[in-house]
Amino acid sequence: MSLTSLDPRVTRLNLPEGELPPAEPKPELDQFETYETFHQKKEGAAYTYVGPVHAPNEEVAFLFSKEQYSRRAACSGMWVARTSHIMVTPYVGDAENVYDVIRLEEPTERSEQREPYEIFHLKKRGKAHTHAGRVIATSYQEALQEAKQQFGDKGPIVNVWVVKSKHVLQSAEEDKDMWLTVPEKKYREATAYKVMDKITKYKEEQKSTAP
Amino acid sequence: MYGGGNVFEATKFDTLQNEDPAKLAEFEARIARGEKIEPTDWMPELYRKQLIRMIEQHAHSEIIGALPEGTWITRAPGFRRKMAQMAKVQDEVGHAQLLYSAAETLGKSREQMLTDLINGKSKYSNVFNYPAFTWADSNIISWLIDAGAIVNQLANAKGSYGPYCRALDRICAEEAFHLKYGHDAVVHMATGSPKQREMIQAALNRWWTPIMHFFGPPDKMSTHTEILMRWKVKMASNDDMRQQFLDMYVPKIWELGLTVPDPNLKKNPETGKWDYTEPDWEEFKRVINGDGPCNTERLAVRRTAEERGAWVRRALLHPKAKYVKPLA
Repeated sequence: MSLTSLDPRVTRLNLPEGELPPAEPKPELDQFETYETFHQKKEGAAYTYVGPVHAPNEEVAFLFSKEQYSRRAACSGMWVARTSHIMVTPYVGDAENVYDVIRLEEPTERSEQREPYEIFHLKKRGKAHTHAGRVIATSYQEALQEAKQQFGDKGPIVNVWVVKSKHVLQSAEEDKDMWLTVPEKKYREATAYKVMDKITKYKEEQKSTAP
Repeated sequence: MYGGGNVFEATKFDTLQNEDPAKLAEFEARIARGEKIEPTDWMPELYRKQLIRMIEQHAHSEIIGALPEGTWITRAPGFRRKMAQMAKVQDEVGHAQLLYSAAETLGKSREQMLTDLINGKSKYSNVFNYPAFTWADSNIISWLIDAGAIVNQLANAKGSYGPYCRALDRICAEEAFHLKYGHDAVVHMATGSPKQREMIQAALNRWWTPIMHFFGPPDKMSTHTEILMRWKVKMASNDDMRQQFLDMYVPKIWELGLTVPDPNLKKNPETGKWDYTEPDWEEFKRVINGDGPCNTERLAVRRTAEERGAWVRRALLHPKAKYVKPLA
């Protein structure tokens, strides 16, 4: 026997009826690795952290991020980086500056060539990391040192993320038209529903027909 | 949308005695100052456990809640309504993804959460164990269940855990559309033909008990949650949220000339609070423990989707992939 539903499409799935043995635990990585996504809300604004996605690779992560984080809100660019590629400092309190607190360690690994790193700052706990700028270095530690000198004295900084620029998949300037789909779908906006007009009209009709 | 009415496990205070008193004091001081907790901070095990439980239940509610509404996409009257219904369902599934990630930052993998959902070990909002018989049922869900969810989510967005707050801020922004869309759909029916009015009234009658259940058992029946309130895990009591919902939405139901199937429902002028008949809490317990009209179907649909899609995920998995939990 298969399961019968009010929805014929569910009935057609031929789902088994009755008690099933417990499902096997999902295997590790069934849901893939995680990537962190940053968006640019409007032209010229700093890239800001919006959240993670799970994906099998960078390109798919970008697609998922586009669906998840730009579908409903204005967006003019997106960056995606694998979580494991991001170096994270400790967190400090909202009134502190993490650069004053951390001891910069000797790098364990250095690249032969100097290369660019992206630096993200969290200004207040619970808010989102924002792109502070780019530095050139041969290691994460050196990048953090550079970041401290270049951007480190601007008020409280609770936490810093450092990631090599080559590990950030960035949306291209020439693909900009992919961000243009939001305004044409008005039915997804609260403002598209003029409920009060209908209610007022209804109430007036009720009044005029009342005995 | 969200299934509120979290049923918290009895909080065992003795577990706190194993926590480092200095760290605990620092943690509580941070929350008292109004600072958020971030994933790598020290936190008591009880805080971690209850948050995982709450955020995970919330995520499951989003993904299961998409099922009764998804059913109506193909049969929504008219193209515009199909598009809107589809957009709403897509939002709900997106919310689940945001919430799973927030729970993951606390150390439970998405694989484990999905396994626990399918095996009935973790709960989701009880309301989704009821069927959406007609288009009008779908409208009532879109309006009033989402309205309840918003009351709940706006409260939780002021909680103490950073990743959950970030997810809720995004979610609340999208819910504004759901609420208006649902209200518009109900108003359309209520101001339409006698048949349409009859349909929406019948749906409201069917959904009233689940809606009252939505915020969870009354405070006098709930386990002690004082410490969870102090830690800003639970932001308002079940009864307070239910009162807030009644305050906001009963007048909107009445102004359409619809009735609520509870003869005792009225605002008490002395207390300023709503009097109502307690819904059947035995039914609530029975349904949440698996014996509702749709529990089996909801989990079977979810399980089949996971099982039938497993080969695609296996084929896509990179052999060198290594899991790291999301950062924030």
